[in-house]
Amino acid sequence: MTAIERALYELNEIDGYACGSSLMHRLDPRAKTIVTLLYIATVLSFRLDSLTGIMSLWIFPILLSALGGISYNRVFVKSLYVLPFIALIGIFNPIFDRRPALTAGHVVITVGWLQFISICLRGMLAVQASLILVMTTGFMKICHGLRRMGLPAVFTTQLLMVHRYLSVLLKEAASMDCARRSRGYGRRHYTPRLWGIFIGQLLVRTVARAGRIHMAMLSRGFDGNAAIRSTMRWSAADTIFLTACAAAFAIARLADLSRLFNILTLR
Amino acid sequence: MSHHYVKFDHVSYTYPNGYRALDDVSLLITHGQKVAVIGANGAGKSTLMLHMNGLLTATEGQVVIGDIPVTPKTLPRIRQTVGLVFQNPDDQLFMPTVADDVAFGPINMRLPDSEVDRRVDMALKAVGAYDLKDRPGYQLSGGQKRSVAIATVLSMEPDILVMDEPSSNLDPRARRMLMRQIEAFDHTCIITTHDLDLALNLCPRTIVMSGGHIAADGPTPDLLADRSLLERASLL
Ligand SMILES: Nc1ncnc2c1ncn2[C@@H]1O[C@H](COP(=O)(O)OP(=O)(O)OP(=O)(O)O)[C@@H](O)[C@H]1O
Ligand SMILES: [Mg+2]
Repeated sequence: MTAIERALYELNEIDGYACGSSLMHRLDPRAKTIVTLLYIATVLSFRLDSLTGIMSLWIFPILLSALGGISYNRVFVKSLYVLPFIALIGIFNPIFDRRPALTAGHVVITVGWLQFISICLRGMLAVQASLILVMTTGFMKICHGLRRMGLPAVFTTQLLMVHRYLSVLLKEAASMDCARRSRGYGRRHYTPRLWGIFIGQLLVRTVARAGRIHMAMLSRGFDGNAAIRSTMRWSAADTIFLTACAAAFAIARLADLSRLFNILTLR
Repeated sequence: MSHHYVKFDHVSYTYPNGYRALDDVSLLITHGQKVAVIGANGAGKSTLMLHMNGLLTATEGQVVIGDIPVTPKTLPRIRQTVGLVFQNPDDQLFMPTVADDVAFGPINMRLPDSEVDRRVDMALKAVGAYDLKDRPGYQLSGGQKRSVAIATVLSMEPDILVMDEPSSNLDPRARRMLMRQIEAFDHTCIITTHDLDLALNLCPRTIVMSGGHIAADGPTPDLLADRSLLERASLL
């Protein structure tokens, strides 16, 4: 598998999981969306250098993926794809903040590094929570739930289109890459000019492809509102799930387990 | 139901890049007729099909479907009347699972849930793809995708069925099922194909396209027997 095919596989796997029928899958998309947003808010509400507090929140993605019958391993691997982008956000902290935070033997860890790790961890956890949401619900239903919660159709349809466009882009890239390799006679290095042509072609092809898919949608009566059946019903299970999660997040936040850990590990 | 005719009145179409893909095309297909459109690669068959439900709008001339001229305002009605199966099934399947995809049209038609379910089952059984119901569309083989693509249109129960090379990529059994399906469809049916045998078996009438215009239009057996015509249209 090439890198592109690998990425496509990871993306398709997300949709594959969404077809499951676990406890988590059966919950109302709205409940799961709210819980995910609450979780991300909790993760982001911790102080930047409170590493241990955030660590304690790590338990939730593991727990929720188990409830959803998803291997946490797969979620973790997928979230690694965005790690470079998250790392970019925090990359300057270690450079600017060189105050020592803790020492382990001869190694001194600065506040900056602690913040950097904390940013990466927060990002990963937020992404993992979102992945679990998508893998147990499916992108369509999330959008439909958002729509029912009052988000304008323009946004939800946009979201759907972006999701759809991503897989079209990857598919075109994979088939171009395949064609390139099959006629490349083992050539590995291409000039920047050729790469320019490849990327230009890729964009033109995806736009044309997306145009044809849009035509197919129009010809089946698509009028700007995503068609999905409204079998959404809020049940007692959803209320319980929502309250339990909200309470758990609140406890994790307020009890501030980090205190305890801080005393043990930090100076 | 005699009003489900398809009429092209001196239609020409120029692509945005200036290529004139249809050149003064006039035709009338009446209700219940089965018509094959044949012609070499690039003859303009697909372009012609895209005009039938208003995905492309004629730059000159007019397309009329059963008393309704194809204009931006009439598009919703036109698209319920005319079901179009695309040449490339990858362009037609865009939902997470096969069942979602087949239900897409009926849901857009605002049908009640039970009716949507009935149509999804009916359409999938008709193309022999019922077993694929819960599979994701991107995991299917070329021929399976083709069958499902046809089902996505059948589920809308169109009055006019337009198919762009429906038999490409199908194995003999799936092809036979498709042919039976077309035979059983008692409304208007327009098929582009390179499968001359299918044209001869199913369509009493054939239109031969060449370089964007109609080179011949008549009974299929007569046209397929005309060697010089087929040679001129690069079909031989
Ligand atoms: N999007 C486009 N922009 C510009 N020209 C196009 C476009 N699509 C098709 N054409 C041109 O229009 C002509 C007719 O194309 P069309 O797809 O209708 O052919 P076809 O008869 O369906 O061929 P095939 O048997 O290969 O499917 C071709 O010469 C093609 O190059
Ligand atoms: Mg074509």
